[in-house]
Amino acid sequence: MIVQTLAFYLFAGLAVASAFMVIAARNPVHSVLFLILAFVNAAGLFVLLGAEFLAMMLVVVYVGAVAVLFLFVVMMLDINFAELRQGVLQYLPVGGLIGLVLLVELLLVVGTWVAAPGIVASDPTPAPGDLSNTEALGRLLFTKYVYFFQASGMILLVAMVGAIVLTLRSREGVRRQSIARQNARTRADTLEIRKVQSGTGG
Amino acid sequence: MFAVAIFLPLLAAVVAGFFGRWIGDRGAQIVTCGGLLISMLISWWMLYAIGFQQQAQTVELFTWMASGSFEVSWALRFDTLTAVMVFVVTTVSAMVHVYSVGYMSHDHSIPRFMAYLSIFTFFMLMLVTADNFVQMFFGWEGVGVASYLLIGFWYDRPSANAAAMKAFIVNRVGDFGFALGIMAIFFLFGTVSFDAVFQAAPQMAGKTFQFLGMEVDALTTACLLLFVGAMGKSAQLGLHTWLPDAMEGPTPVSALIHAATMVTAGVFMLVRLSPVFEYAPAALAVVTVVGASTAIFAATVGMTQFDIKRVIAYSTCSQLGYMFFAIGVSAYQAAIFHLMTHAFFKALLFLGAGSVIHAMSDEQDMRRMGGIWRLIPTTYAMMWIGSLALAGLPFFAGFYSKDIILEAAYGAHSGVGQYAFWLGIVAALLTAFYSWRLIFLTFHGKPRANEHVMAHVHESPPVMIGPLVVLALGAVFSGWLAYEAFVGHDHKAFWGAAIFVAERHDPLEAAHHVPGWVKLLPIFVAVAGILVAWIAYILRPGLPEATAEALRPIHRFFFNKWYFDELYDRLFVRPAFYLGRGLWKTGDGALIDGVGPDGVAAATRSLSVQASRLQSGYVYHYAFAMLIGVVVLVSWYLYARI
Amino acid sequence: MIPVAFPELAPALPEILLAVGAMALLMFGVFSGDRSSRTVSWLSVLLLILAGIVVAAGGGAERVTFFGAFVSDAFSSFAKMLILLGSVVAVLLGADQNERDGQARFEYPILILLATLGMLMMVSANDLIALYLGLELQSLALYVLAAFRRETVRSTEAGLKYFVLGALSSCMLLYGASLIYGFAGTTSFDVLATTLQQGEPAIGVIFGIVFLAAGLAFKVSAVPFHMWTPDVYEGAPTPVTAFFAVAPKVAAVALFVRVMIEPLGGLVDEWRQIIVFIAIASMVLGAFAAINQTNIKRLMAYSSIGHVGYALVGLAAGTASGVRGVLIYMAIYIFMTAGTFAIILCMRQKDRAVEGIADLAGLSRQRPLLALALAIFMFSMAGIPPLAGFFSKLYVFMAAIEAAREVPILYVLAIVGVLASVVGAYYYLRIVKIMYFDEPTEGFDRTVSGEVHAIIGVSALVTMFFFLYPAPLLTAAATAAAALVKG
Repeated sequence: MIVQTLAFYLFAGLAVASAFMVIAARNPVHSVLFLILAFVNAAGLFVLLGAEFLAMMLVVVYVGAVAVLFLFVVMMLDINFAELRQGVLQYLPVGGLIGLVLLVELLLVVGTWVAAPGIVASDPTPAPGDLSNTEALGRLLFTKYVYFFQASGMILLVAMVGAIVLTLRSREGVRRQSIARQNARTRADTLEIRKVQSGTGG
Repeated sequence: MFAVAIFLPLLAAVVAGFFGRWIGDRGAQIVTCGGLLISMLISWWMLYAIGFQQQAQTVELFTWMASGSFEVSWALRFDTLTAVMVFVVTTVSAMVHVYSVGYMSHDHSIPRFMAYLSIFTFFMLMLVTADNFVQMFFGWEGVGVASYLLIGFWYDRPSANAAAMKAFIVNRVGDFGFALGIMAIFFLFGTVSFDAVFQAAPQMAGKTFQFLGMEVDALTTACLLLFVGAMGKSAQLGLHTWLPDAMEGPTPVSALIHAATMVTAGVFMLVRLSPVFEYAPAALAVVTVVGASTAIFAATVGMTQFDIKRVIAYSTCSQLGYMFFAIGVSAYQAAIFHLMTHAFFKALLFLGAGSVIHAMSDEQDMRRMGGIWRLIPTTYAMMWIGSLALAGLPFFAGFYSKDIILEAAYGAHSGVGQYAFWLGIVAALLTAFYSWRLIFLTFHGKPRANEHVMAHVHESPPVMIGPLVVLALGAVFSGWLAYEAFVGHDHKAFWGAAIFVAERHDPLEAAHHVPGWVKLLPIFVAVAGILVAWIAYILRPGLPEATAEALRPIHRFFFNKWYFDELYDRLFVRPAFYLGRGLWKTGDGALIDGVGPDGVAAATRSLSVQASRLQSGYVYHYAFAMLIGVVVLVSWYLYARI
Repeated sequence: MIPVAFPELAPALPEILLAVGAMALLMFGVFSGDRSSRTVSWLSVLLLILAGIVVAAGGGAERVTFFGAFVSDAFSSFAKMLILLGSVVAVLLGADQNERDGQARFEYPILILLATLGMLMMVSANDLIALYLGLELQSLALYVLAAFRRETVRSTEAGLKYFVLGALSSCMLLYGASLIYGFAGTTSFDVLATTLQQGEPAIGVIFGIVFLAAGLAFKVSAVPFHMWTPDVYEGAPTPVTAFFAVAPKVAAVALFVRVMIEPLGGLVDEWRQIIVFIAIASMVLGAFAAINQTNIKRLMAYSSIGHVGYALVGLAAGTASGVRGVLIYMAIYIFMTAGTFAIILCMRQKDRAVEGIADLAGLSRQRPLLALALAIFMFSMAGIPPLAGFFSKLYVFMAAIEAAREVPILYVLAIVGVLASVVGAYYYLRIVKIMYFDEPTEGFDRTVSGEVHAIIGVSALVTMFFFLYPAPLLTAAATAAAALVKG
């Protein structure tokens, strides 16, 4: 038990610290790396909860795909982050004050938390029993949460359509490889045999 | 049938007013004159049927308004008093309509003029046929509006506009009194119907009620308030100032409205309310004093004026004073009698004056007339007839009516009666004097106009002379013909229930039994007045100037109309202007506009600029605003909890 | 393994229809290219109308499906009809405008369909997760639509701003939802409703409500969460702005009402303070900030902020008549707004769209009918009887005054509302003044299609003659409100 508790504070502390570093780091590449660190710690927290499937998905999808994509983008775009940050000091006092107030208030609220008064059970789903984590999730997703699952699907569709709408453009003068045309070419189309008279060229 | 006579002028006015453009000048003249002439004929028959055949009746039209116990209906009340008034109004109006065809022939907006005249006639008829106070007030205000429109008919003249406004505003004072009087009547009697009020009046005598914190006699208060209304409309002393100025209107208007009909509405109203006034003797005393004072006041001013129409206007004012003090001594019949004869001869005088003005190329100042009697003999003759009737020379209409009034005043045997009688005698002297002063200055002596004008002097066309002749017939014969019926032995049968005189006195009977010198004195003073005028303006033309010089303060006092206009200017007009200007500049402009509309508008504008400035365009500003919103709300709840 | 019954699909038929139809049209569009955009537009309109028929056929009976996550009742049906109407208008306006600008792309109607799907899911949400998913589906489509003119800076800027701020608002909403979940132990509206009625609510629930309300207020563009509105309205292509002003607004307001009345109904005294605050702020800011505007789309943005403030007055009342007032308000609002934006689409000079208020000068002499229609809309928005806008205000204020006997703060709300509408009348009437009394500038092109004119005409007629036969709308709104406010 003690090990789990220690692990929780380790992961949680690292997650918060690296999340802070994401916005505090001067070098954008470092920011992205800290982001990856935060994700990994979150995955650790999932493991502690016994949700190993989610933990793996987090690592695979966020760390493996999304964060790496971020890294590429940041590296390829030459953004002068120092310039963007110039206003920070100017807004720091007011912003800091507001943030502090909000933080204090939220801490007060968290302090009052009692475990769901009047609620019989906050976990209506019975423990998966002999099912594996993945299978249990799958069964839930495609039965009880089918509506949410489908809705999420629609959201992803919109995201895809949107990305295409906003970025796809047909440029003039771009050469593309057309395999069908390449295969369809015959010798007669492309080659012309000429007899060259020797000695007359120049 | 009677109702037709009332509504024909309305129809004619609508046709001429709204369709004048299509039917043209001639069409408008035919429609309005035709309508009025038919009305006139009906009214003659009406007078005969009601006055001599006792066919008094009330025609209910429909309910006008009903609110709780307050109920008013449109109804036409036809009794002898109404019949006489309808007779006078339609006859004079018809004559004036016809006369206007000639007089206004060069004007640009004939249909408008004819429509105004007809609508005025309709309102006047509504006034005299009213069966309740509210309907009477409707007619009362209607004639006020028509009078305003007609005085200001030549709206491109500033003086005409000013006169129209003055007439309207001074009348507002009177109308306010009238309205208060109606409210007092409703408060006392719980109804505004004439019949109900008249029946209940005896029980009301002597009752008191709280008014402005004082315990006052109820009927006297109500009657005095109503009399204030009458004073305004009939130009009695104090509220008379608008009448001379009203002469800015076209002369037919002066003849119709400001001599024969509208200004007598006050007299009519008091006579109509005789059953109420009879129970308010104090109010009657006030009426007597005001009437007599007006008679002498207007006569003194009339003596000194030079504008031919103003002289006649002051004469009208003076004669209205006679009618009022006749009412004051309960001689209502005499007042109406004089009202009728006066309508004829005063309309005659005005139209005659109009004819003179027409002949003199729109000259109104008598100092630039003279020596034209040979050139316009018919008009001259008409003016003589009118003046003889006005002065009250025997066997002309004014003789009968004025004599009976003076006799009634003497016969009242009261202090106010004596006051009225003696002032009336002096006024009669002055009346004769200024009438012949007018005739002599206008027609006799050397021509004082320039040759150009004199060359154009011409007799008026038949369409103008015709009405003059009809009115002259009235001025000559109406007194003699109507004497017995109106105030003589047959008066009880003639008037029927239309006029009520309390049991305690019989002024007409008393008037017939006054000493002989009382009957002769008016004739004597009239002849004396004529003689003085003859001496002053024919025999010794220098005399008036010398007298005026000798009596300079008095002359100036009279000439300046007793300084009423100046007094009012100081007392009311200027303070009102100062107050208005003050309220406008500081009250409305600086305070209300400054703080109110302008201030609010300026504040709104600056707020708007501020609000737009919030919108900086930076995403992080926007996000920050959202965060602040959340924090404020969260803090609010936390604060509410702790 | 618990056997799970297959969920009933009939209540969600309109949504399923839209989803399937949108995907089918997407395939059609992809394979036939941009030449097919007109066909896709018309098919989309057809699909929307079909969905509307299905909604109407479903009637007002309350049906819950998907294990309590989805509800279809009279309230959602009413809101869905309005949303579908707004979407039809947006598709028609967009098809016309995009074609004339040479920007005809089949994705436009598809995205509107998908956004509409999100909105329908929003108003039918019966669970915090369903709420969030519907909202995100709708928002994501709207972000893309705002930036649809990717070649213009203003459009992309609008899209980006909307996206960033929208993400922030989603965060707040999610944070609020998790607070509520954490303190109440459930995300289901039904369970929340019963749980939260017991005793004093935990402060955490209140905070959750604040954050949730903040997220929703962003979607309805209520002050102080309105900041994106003027910039996005101005920057987005006009048909998209028209869409923003109509359908999502109705959906968000309906969702707001449902969340506040249904699961949080027991805490009405708590959340009323939020609503009163944002309603007053919206009405006042909407009235004042609009005065200074020169761009008509920006003006309409502030106008819509103000209108949301008025609609929220009805919600603040928290009664059935208040909800009815909100629904009537939104119904009339979409007619006025759709008509106005259709007229803004007509503002083209030399084949270029113009957006300045000054460009309307002298419109009455060149296009009297157009000017008349705009005058009707402006008078109606200013709340001048007997136009429809007067009645919409009347009903919310009446509801507030009725409820004010127990909650005096509502008097303040009603008074501020009336005062703000006086200020607001200034800028509405200024447009009328400019159209009718200013010297004309250059005339507008007469290239607008018949659909746009039909939209203007129908909206103007409805706005003008609503008072003759208001009964259908009033009874429908009353039924819808009764479905939400029980007992």
